[in-house]
Order: sequence, then C-alpha cells, then structure tokens
Amino acid sequence: MHIEIDEIAKSFGDTTALQPVSLAIPSGALVALLGPSGSGKTTLLRILGGLEYPTSGRVLFDGADSTGLSVQQRRAGFVFQSYALFRHMTVFENIAYGLKARPRKLRPPRAEIARRVAKLLDLIQLPGITDRYPTQLSGGQRQRVALARALAIEPRMLLLDEPFGALDAKVRKELRHGLREIHDATGLTTIFVTHDQDEAMELADLVVVMSMGRIEQVGRPQDIRERPATPFVREFITA
Amino acid sequence: MRPFVRPSPMPGLSLSLGITLTMLSLVVLLPMAALLWQGASFGIGPMWDVIDRDRVWKALLLSFRVAFFAALFNLVFGVLLAWVLVRYDFPGRRLVDAAVDLPFALPTAVAGIALTALYAPNGLFGSWLKPYGIKIAYTEWGILIALIFVGLPFVTRTVQPVAEEIDREVEEASATLGASRFYTLCRVIAPMLAPAALTGFALALARAVGEYGSVIFIAGNIPMKTEIAPLLIVMQLEEFNYNGAAAIGIAMLAISFVLLLAINLLQIWSRRRIGHV
Amino acid sequence: MSETPSSHRPRFRSATEEPAPVRIGLIAFVVLVLAVLVLAPLGVIFSEAFAKGWAAAWKALQSKDLQSAIWLTLVVAAIAVPLNAVFGVAAAWLITKFDFRGKAVLITLIDLPFSVSPVVAGLCLVLMFGANTMVGGWLVAQGMPIVFAIPGIVMATMFVTFPFVARELIPVMIEQGRTEEEAALTLGASGWRTFLTVTLPNIRWALLYGVLLCNARAMGEFGAVAVVSGKIRGKTATMPLAIEMLYNEYLSVAAFSLAGLLTLLALVTLLLKSVLEIRYADQLAATRRH
Ligand SMILES: Nc1ncnc2c1ncn2[C@@H]1O[C@H](COP(=O)(O)OP(=O)(O)OP(=O)(O)O)[C@@H](O)[C@H]1O
Ligand SMILES: [Mg+2]
Repeated sequence: MHIEIDEIAKSFGDTTALQPVSLAIPSGALVALLGPSGSGKTTLLRILGGLEYPTSGRVLFDGADSTGLSVQQRRAGFVFQSYALFRHMTVFENIAYGLKARPRKLRPPRAEIARRVAKLLDLIQLPGITDRYPTQLSGGQRQRVALARALAIEPRMLLLDEPFGALDAKVRKELRHGLREIHDATGLTTIFVTHDQDEAMELADLVVVMSMGRIEQVGRPQDIRERPATPFVREFITA
Repeated sequence: MRPFVRPSPMPGLSLSLGITLTMLSLVVLLPMAALLWQGASFGIGPMWDVIDRDRVWKALLLSFRVAFFAALFNLVFGVLLAWVLVRYDFPGRRLVDAAVDLPFALPTAVAGIALTALYAPNGLFGSWLKPYGIKIAYTEWGILIALIFVGLPFVTRTVQPVAEEIDREVEEASATLGASRFYTLCRVIAPMLAPAALTGFALALARAVGEYGSVIFIAGNIPMKTEIAPLLIVMQLEEFNYNGAAAIGIAMLAISFVLLLAINLLQIWSRRRIGHV
Repeated sequence: MSETPSSHRPRFRSATEEPAPVRIGLIAFVVLVLAVLVLAPLGVIFSEAFAKGWAAAWKALQSKDLQSAIWLTLVVAAIAVPLNAVFGVAAAWLITKFDFRGKAVLITLIDLPFSVSPVVAGLCLVLMFGANTMVGGWLVAQGMPIVFAIPGIVMATMFVTFPFVARELIPVMIEQGRTEEEAALTLGASGWRTFLTVTLPNIRWALLYGVLLCNARAMGEFGAVAVVSGKIRGKTATMPLAIEMLYNEYLSVAAFSLAGLLTLLALVTLLLKSVLEIRYADQLAATRRH
C-alpha cells in the first residue's frame, strides 16, 4: 500500500513532537525511521497506526484520506517496542486474537484460524511453541510472536517500533534478516523505527532521518551515507 | 535439613519474635483456642443439636446468602468504580476517591442507625418507596444494603492499583488487531483485573458474613426472618448459654473457612490461567 | 492546502478510551450510587442530630453517661492502638528481616482476625476470660476481671484491629529491602540505633497510615466490644455502644449527636489519609499495591 504523509504535525500540550512533515512511501517499501531519542519517530509511527491523532495534516493510504480512520479500521500490523503480548494468553491465543476478535460474519472458522496460526509460526520459524505463555519465551521469541500476531490480521502495512530495541546484539543481527525475509515474502509496506544507523542502513530500502520533530533527509542508504543533506545528518551518520 | 531460622546479621530476632508470638497468642490464638475447646468439651453431637434447629439454620442461611449477594454487588460495582477512578478524569474525582473509604472509617453502629433512619418507612428514602409498596428497612433488603455499605471499599481498593499498572500498549495492541473496545475490555482487561477482584470479593464476603453493628439496626431482627447468625450468638450469650454460643460461632467459622478456601482455590486457578504475570 | 480545518475531520476515537457517552454514563452511575450509598447516610446523621437544633444536640452530649462513654473510647484506643502499633512493627520486622520456616503460616494467622466475625471474636474472649472459666475465674479472684471490664474491651478492640499496622508495614518494608540496615550495621551502629535512624524514618508514614486506620476502627468497633463489655452504662459503654442504647430508647437526637461526633472522627481520618496518600505517595505505593 502506498502511504502519503501530508504536512502532519503533532504537539502534546506545549511540547511539539512533530513539526509539519511530509513523506511519500512507495508501496512495498521497507522504510527505516532513524533518529535520536525524542526526534518524533514513535509519534509518527503511532499516527500512521491510528493510535495518535495529528494536530494537523493528513494521512493518505493509496491516495484516500485516512486521517480519521479508527485504529481498528486501519488494519495496520503494529509491533510495539515492549511487544505488548497478552500475558494471560498462550502463543496460539495471542496470534489468533485478531482473527477471533472479528465480528462473527467475518470470523474465519476455527480450523481455518488454527491453520493460519500454524502457517505464521512456520513463517517466524517457531513451530511447536503454541501452548507456551509469553513469560516462558525468550526476548527474541517474544518479538517474533508479536510479529506473527500483527501479521495474522492480514494487515495492509507493517509498523514496528524499535523491533529489536530490547534484544542483545547477537539476536538483533539474526532477527534483522528475519524481518527482511518476512517483508520480502509478504510484500507489505513496512516501516520500522530505530536509532541504530547500522540497522537502518543494512535493512531498509529507504531511510528517513529525523531530528527534533523534523525530517532531515529521505533517501536510499547509500545516498544518505554519501550525500548527507544537512550537517545534522552528517554528524549523526559518522557518529 | 534447612535450619529453622536462616542465620542473619540482622538484630532483634528474639525481641521481634517474642513480641509477635506473645501478642498473637494472647490476643488471637488463645481466645480462639478457647472457643474450639469449649466446642470440643461440649461435644459434636450436642453442638449439632444446637445448630440443627430451624431458627439457627435460617439465620446462618440468611447471613451467608445476603453476604454473598452483597459481595457480588460490590464485586461488579467495585470493579466499575475502580476503573472510573483510575481511567476517567472528572471534577471531584479526588473527593469520590476519598469517599470510597468512608465505610472503612465510619463506625458500623453509626452506619447502622444512619441507614435505618434513611430506609425506615418514615425515613427519607423509605417514605419515597412506601407508596410503591417497597419495604427496605426491617427486611432482607435492608440487611443487603447494610452489607453492601460495609463491603463497598474492598474490591475497589484491591483492583485500583492493578488497573493503574495495566500497560496501555497492551490495550493498543488489541485495538490495532481490530478488536472493538468492548472486546478489549472483556478479553484483555477483565482477565488482568480478575485475581485482584476476587481477592476483594473474598475480603468483602468475609466482612459481610461476620458483620453485626450495621445490620442489627436495619434488620429488625424478626426471628426466622431477619435474624442474622451473629445476633443469635449474642442472644445465647445474654442467656449465659456459652455452649450454644460456641456451637453457632464454630459453625460460622467453619462455613467461612470453607468459603474462603473455595475462593482461594478459584483464585489459584485464575492466577494460573491469567498468571504468568 | 495543508491546513485542513479540524471541524471537517471525522471524530477520532482513542484506542485506550471508552466512547464518551459510555464514559459519562459510567461516571454518572458510580457517582449516583455512591451518593445514595455513602453520602446520604452521612447527611442523615447530621440532619437527625440537629433535628431539634444545635442546642439540643450540644446539650445531649453533655450528659454524664455520654461523657464517660467518650472518655472510655479514648482510653481504650489509647491503650489498644499503641500496643497494636508495637506488635505491627515487631511482626513486620520479623517477617521482612528474617527468613524462617512457617512464615506464610504466621502471616495467615496475623490476618486471621479479618475473617472472623467481631461477635465471634468477642465470644472467644468471653470463653477465655469469662468469670466462669479457669483463667477468668482466677483473674476475678485476683481482683482483675477482664470480661465486662475495660481490659476485655481493650482486648476485643485489639483482636479486631490486630492486622492493621502489620499489613501496612510489611509491603513497604519488603520493598525497601535490607540493604540500608545492613549498611548501618557494618558501620557499627547498634541494633536499636539502626532501627531508630534507618528503618523508622523509612516507614514512618506507612506506620502513621496504619495507626490512623487502626484508630478509626478501634474507636468505632461495635460487635466485639458489645459482647465483652456488658454494656454497663457509664462504666463499660463505649461511644458506639452508647449510640445503640440511646437509639433503642428512642433518644434520637442524643444517639445521632454522638454518631455525628464519631462521623467527624471518620471524616478527619479520611482527610488525613488522603493527605498522607497525596503527600507521601511514593512511600505508601507499596502499601496500596500490596
Ligand atoms: N503522550 C505524550 N505526551 C507528551 N509528550 C509526548 C508524548 N509522546 C511523545 N511526547 C514527546 O514528543 C517528543 C517525541 O517523542 P517520540 O516518542 O516520538 O520520540 P522518539 O523519536 O520515538 O524517541 P525514542 O527513540 O526515545 O523512542 C518527545 O519530546 C516526547 O517527550
Ligand atoms: Mg520511540
């Protein structure tokens, strides 16, 4: 799905989280929102996911104004930094949640739900953990379950807030490739937030560098590395 | 074998142990042992004869039945109240929050005469309801209201801190997965609050079963109809029938014990289901 | 073109909030129920007390029996509450600073009075210390009756308020751990000094909080005290018992005036409690979470 951000601004009371920013994301791209802490990455992602309402500006999905679309209607697969798994549900119940929550008419039959969950578990390469609870999983496993849960609703886009933030360096590297593979397999427009430039450069088709609520530069990783548009980007990249 | 007390550099073991055990024994354990002793020396058979009378059964049944419904009301209302206090901001929220504790702070006898004054046929609420043929004071309904009053804060106070700590992202996750707010409340939030709500329910129930002060005024104490079990104990004592009093007292303890055990098991089960916290 | 007037926007619903009508409805519902259940009784106490004017209420309180009831209640609380505070501190210290077998049992036993009817509590004391029992008979012979006398009232009060202080302190002291005390001890402080200069300052607000709740219950206890006191007018009738007697004699103004006095005490307790909760929120957090 093609995503267009049109002059989106957001302030929380006195603090301005986002200056008016505009950005077009081509369908099927894997995009990194890169920037230091407090630069407004999460805020932008949450506005896309429908968890936050912009102070001004519009969000367009495939050309249609979707600013006022509710979270439920957006069908954005969202992966939270804390994963936000349901602790009282097993892995199976977590992944099946979005399907079971559908109104009766749209709800797939039980067997179909089970089939889809099994398929997703294969996709994240964790078959055979269906009956475990989130607390019985490692950090990396939790992250992948959260991803599978988001994918289960057949989302129109995938939004990930620091998906690897809570993991140690080794697991991070492994899961990076996992995300790339899943992106390539599903073809979903995917936006992930990170403040790790290696991660952004290695993984993304398009990197959006942000600072203090502004977009400093948008470009392919090598463009950003070779032709930083602003002193901030240059400093951030070489740091 | 594990030592009875693990060695520790902390001072004051014998002093704190001494004070704790002495006072616990003197104030709680020995008197309760005296009750059991009285029952034991009276004998199981005679005790059963005391209890197995229509009037006693009716009183016991009344006490536990009304206490259960009062606790049930408090369970539902307490969860709602906790949710409103934690999640909604409105003028006077602090005041409402403080008012929740009034039943804890207000002496039960005071609550009893106040509720009676309100719900008696010539009272403020009583006179409104009279034209519709509704009688509250001196009926089971009056007892129910008194027991709801005394048990009001328990569920709210146990649920509130848990509700405060619910991770918003979990709710947001549910919404991004397409769940309606109602579905989220039922499937995600309710299970998280359940163990705390059950704890509050058990506390409210225990309190309501044994409650005396607020009930005797509004109940009217009509034999076989609105006589609660603790009142029967008081009446036996006034006749110096210690054996009779002990029999009913032990019966109450036994039933309470079974009830609380059941709630505890339910809670272990719900924690296991919801557990993994 | 970028500024879309916000009035044209469709209404946005937060993901973590109920729709506004539900919210308003719920707030109205709980406020209404609380008004009927809690506020109305509060109002009726004062309206009944002043039903015949301020002077009548004031005069009723001057009666000698009532004065002695007020005095007795204060005396009982003044003995029972500090004793329970000492117990609470000792029990909390024992439970949080040492590891020993049977700790869970001990905690259950301390909480036991919460699940015992006050009337049964009073009954237990009568069966232990009544004049016709072994212990009680001996004490009466020594000129120290317990039941139908002040010591019995104190013990009944202590029974029903027994867990109050300990319950508030234990979670706070668990949260604070043992490191500070250990540090003080390694620096050569004596046990008492460590307690007074390290532990006590850390738990003082929780202690005060527990004492406050304990005191409110102590001054208001009815069932347990009714059983052991014998209700001897002017001698063993505490304020709540005096209320019952006056009420049963249809002395409504006097009964409600006395009730009003206890209500004021309850309101002051709530006020202080709220102040503590707001002012020392962090130190009481563990208590509230418990
Ligand atoms: N709910 C909120 N209320 C008030 N201020 C907020 C809120 N959310 C974000 N902010 C502020 O908006 C700014 C941008 O925050 P945002 O979370 O988008 O940053 P971020 O780039 O995701 O940072 P990080 O890398 O630390 O996650 C910050 O100054 C933050 O304090
Ligand atoms: Mg962020």
